[in-house]
Amino acid sequence: MYRRALTALQRFTLRLDVGMNRVYPTDWNPLYYTGGLTNLFLFILVLSGIFIFFYYVPSLVGAHASIVYLTEQVPYGGLIRGIHRYSADAFIVAALLHLFRNWFTDRYLFSRDSPWISGMFLLLFGGFAGVTGYIMVWDERGLALLGIFDGLLRSIPAAGTKLAEWLVGAAGVGEGTLPRILLLHVGPASLLYVLLWWHYVRLRHPKIWPPATWVLVSLGLVTLLAALLPVTSGIPATPGARPSTMPLDVFFLLPFWLAGVVPPFLVVLLVAGLFVAGLVIPYINRESPAEMGVRQPGVAQVIDGNCTGCELCYYDCPYNAIIMVPSPYPGLTRAAASRKLLAVVLDSRCIQCGICIGACPFEALELPGMLESDVTRRVEEAVRAAETVPA
Amino acid sequence: MSSASGASAQAWSPKVVGFVCDWAVATGDLTDERGRLTSHPSVVLIRVPCSGFIRPAWLEDALKAGADAVFVVGCPYGDCLNREGNYLMRERVDQLQRRLQRRKVEPERLSMLAHGLHDREAFLGEIAALLERLRQIGPASKGAAPARRAAAAPAEGS
Repeated sequence: MYRRALTALQRFTLRLDVGMNRVYPTDWNPLYYTGGLTNLFLFILVLSGIFIFFYYVPSLVGAHASIVYLTEQVPYGGLIRGIHRYSADAFIVAALLHLFRNWFTDRYLFSRDSPWISGMFLLLFGGFAGVTGYIMVWDERGLALLGIFDGLLRSIPAAGTKLAEWLVGAAGVGEGTLPRILLLHVGPASLLYVLLWWHYVRLRHPKIWPPATWVLVSLGLVTLLAALLPVTSGIPATPGARPSTMPLDVFFLLPFWLAGVVPPFLVVLLVAGLFVAGLVIPYINRESPAEMGVRQPGVAQVIDGNCTGCELCYYDCPYNAIIMVPSPYPGLTRAAASRKLLAVVLDSRCIQCGICIGACPFEALELPGMLESDVTRRVEEAVRAAETVPA
Repeated sequence: MSSASGASAQAWSPKVVGFVCDWAVATGDLTDERGRLTSHPSVVLIRVPCSGFIRPAWLEDALKAGADAVFVVGCPYGDCLNREGNYLMRERVDQLQRRLQRRKVEPERLSMLAHGLHDREAFLGEIAALLERLRQIGPASKGAAPARRAAAAPAEGS
């Protein structure tokens, strides 16, 4: 059932690609750059966030006023606030597209699990930073959100009360609250960059940025949105008062809307359950590559005597699976006799794609399941087969 | 024009060897047991783990062994399962094309295609177009692929 759904979704994703490729040249297909777009929006968020940080006052009386001052008095302040809001939404949309795309095209299996796991943490902390961002505005919605957040924390058995005291403040909402929320906004946002290191560590030349055209289009889109639909604050928060309106942001605040419908502990369970489910996705229903019909030519092997230490395989390996070490002894061929370096394959990182074999001009790398002699034999067979065309 | 090319199609079908990435266009039911395309039996496919796996020397080998043309099929650019394989291969194919051109081998004899898993109509269309171009330039001359004869050529030309 799960497998059938995934196959259908993969087919749909690839169809979408083909359709998109008719509109854009393949190098520009935005669906191939969902990860780069996410990173771009994160970068816009950081820059606009630093600007807003200069004006933000994390106190009960000052928070709402400082945001209103930023929006109405500071030149371009309202625009930058709008850019911050809309690129946050775009960040979540792009991140979810990135997640689904890699899920449906099997890019999370086997040795690709570490980008998947780090991606789950990135999504969790990214979403959390979005929620605290809404609280920081400190209008009626912010206060209501803080109340729900507090309630969610307190509904956790045993640890809940302590957690709420640490994160919201010992005496409920007070002067200690907004500095904490500020930290809970900036902290997870900074943590995203630590997690991004984990996200990229196995990738050589990861596509971190989308093509320049899409950078300009994304920047233009959020700026246009911020200019046409300016972001405004609601009525200032007064602790104890009931909120009159509660506008819903579908990208960040769904769990908070849910908390009004079902008991808070169920919401906590749901969020935690979704997160854990995300973490186990690469490991459930796991077939071996052979069962999936994937060729397994084996981990690339360095033919030690031929390696000249030229580093070409090291530059081309997309998974950082080849490292260059000082050569302990000279190679056997003339080209390899005076080498300084020797290529070594890290088995745990190799996914057996064979790109290093294509990169090596010295016949110093082989895939055990598909040796160079196998390929040359097959080429000869192919030419002979092409000659004996059936009439 | 159509009658002329139709006649030459009857007369000669170019021998073509194609390397196809396992993750690119699915060809399971397009070929017979020796890898020949059923619609163009003089085109033979070899499946490889990734287009980036191919050493340019193997493409040259195929030309030397008597193929009239070689091509590589990778995934659409930007969508390589290994992120880089098809870009790397495109560069290698470009380099080899330039190198072969110095030996008077037409660039049409070497090409890099990109087709996704379910993209078989476009793939077959591209193959038909390739065969048509090959019919126009004719079979590979026996001495063209190895470098030896080219060294003597400039003397007659100048």
